[in-house]
Amino acid sequence: MNNSVISADKLSVGYKKPLISDICFNVRSGEIMTLIGPNGSGKSTILKTVAGYLKKHGGAVFIGNTDSDNIANKEKAKVMSVLLTQRIHPELMTCRDVIETGRYPYTGHFGMLSSTDKKAVENAVETVGIKDFIDSDFSSISDGQRQRVLLARAICQEPEILILDEPTSYLDIHHKIMFLEILKKLTKRKGIAVILSMHELDFAEKISDYTVCVKNGEIAKTGKPSEIFNDKTICELFDIPIDMYKLYCK
Amino acid sequence: MSKRKIRFITAFSVLAILTIAVLMMNVFIGSASISVSEAVNILMSKSSDETASSILWKIRVPRALSAMLLGGALALSGYLLQTFFHNPIAGPFVLGVSSGAKLTVALVMIFAASRLLVINSAVMILSAFVGSLLSLGFVLIISQKVRQMSMLVVCGVMIGYICSAVTEFAVTFADDSDIVNLHNWSMGTFSGMTMDNVRVIAVVTTAAFVFTFLLSKPIGAYQLGEGYAGNLGVNVKLVRAALILLSGLFSACVTAFAGPVSFVGIAVPHIIKAFFKTSKPIVLIPACFLGGSVFCMLCDMIARTAFAPTELSISTVTAVFGAPVVIIVMLRGKRESFDE
Repeated sequence: MNNSVISADKLSVGYKKPLISDICFNVRSGEIMTLIGPNGSGKSTILKTVAGYLKKHGGAVFIGNTDSDNIANKEKAKVMSVLLTQRIHPELMTCRDVIETGRYPYTGHFGMLSSTDKKAVENAVETVGIKDFIDSDFSSISDGQRQRVLLARAICQEPEILILDEPTSYLDIHHKIMFLEILKKLTKRKGIAVILSMHELDFAEKISDYTVCVKNGEIAKTGKPSEIFNDKTICELFDIPIDMYKLYCK
Repeated sequence: MSKRKIRFITAFSVLAILTIAVLMMNVFIGSASISVSEAVNILMSKSSDETASSILWKIRVPRALSAMLLGGALALSGYLLQTFFHNPIAGPFVLGVSSGAKLTVALVMIFAASRLLVINSAVMILSAFVGSLLSLGFVLIISQKVRQMSMLVVCGVMIGYICSAVTEFAVTFADDSDIVNLHNWSMGTFSGMTMDNVRVIAVVTTAAFVFTFLLSKPIGAYQLGEGYAGNLGVNVKLVRAALILLSGLFSACVTAFAGPVSFVGIAVPHIIKAFFKTSKPIVLIPACFLGGSVFCMLCDMIARTAFAPTELSISTVTAVFGAPVVIIVMLRGKRESFDE
């Protein structure tokens, strides 16, 4: 696993007790790995543990070749950023204010932005294409716009790894496509490694380099999209009778 | 210069001028008529009028200064609690923190009086701090169980009532000749402050203020929620502990000297936010302090002059101005949650 940006080795995750054990994956620069599976199967738990704010129960997460346990939080913040499902309700913050928080690991003691920081913010804003409403109040914009602002926030942290928990849920089809398009651009142009969970199987198939199926506290199957996205695997993963699947999903 | 910077500079200038102006008014206005020129002469130590001099130096100046410092402390305590709970209607009074401090201080005072001990300011602050943290501990346990912000506040109010009831009980059965001032103090008042008190208050609030200000960067990250803060490299547990300890210390300092004072901690941060139109802690921390100073000094001036020579308790006045702010905030919060 020498050329991987982030990898897990026999990782065991869960809240109080281990929920899922023996998780292994390895994501290279510029690759997208998706987690799919029913609600409550443990996708978020895996993402939270990989991101480091849920304690793991065993195994290891490697960033590059270093065990992430041996990387200080401040340093980790410079290589890994996240977009969470948890909604934020900032008061009196413009979109720019929200994005600027991504520069936290780079700024000095009082958090003043240098010209380098401002440039990183501008670049992120441009990549995500949110110039039009950058100075609006964050609470006044739509869900789709918010997700893009939060993505810009994650990008301006200049990470090598981006972890996103169901970033496209609640978005309309236009915003879903725009969002995934930005993700693709990021992986291609900047070589960022992306790990995300999602429920939209059709999209997952198209953007993944690698897919992990999570079901009932175990990793049901892993593989390339071509190995995962067939009727049999999907029906088993989500417990759908095959005739109904064909009726509603085809 | 950006629009925002101009707003900040203007707002800070206005606050600074107001602080000085209201401080002056507190020194110059009072039931004993001392003309401004006479007062200035006394303050510059050019006059030798004994009575007027002692009224100014022993009564009005320490009272005005303590209202200024403790008002700022209360506003910051409220700001920190609102940040900690992500709850706009949190404050040291509504969460029962002031009442917890009141209870422990009253018990210590009664105990000391019965043993004929004299307690110094440090012991008072310490016992108030213990009481604040006890109440906060209860509120924290409750906050794990209830997620609704209004429920949290209701529980805080209940804790406050229980503490007040126990305090009243203790005060009633204490030997009242020993503790003449205890009743007044337990209603909240800035009267009877000495310059020695002011010195202690100044040291404690300044130290706590400096600590808080140094934390403005992680507090800013914490506002986005613990998940994002953690990802940014913030030690979330440490920040949470610091928020609780500092808000407890601010509130303890107030209660130890002036008793419980309502609505400053909850209302002032909102007024300041509306005025500055930002949520940046590096701006709001000093601004809340100044705002609390102005608010408290104004309220204290009204408390002692409106029906002179009868004095109102400080909370009577702060409630009149502070409670409407809280109602407005709650109504606005309701509207926003309907939008979701």
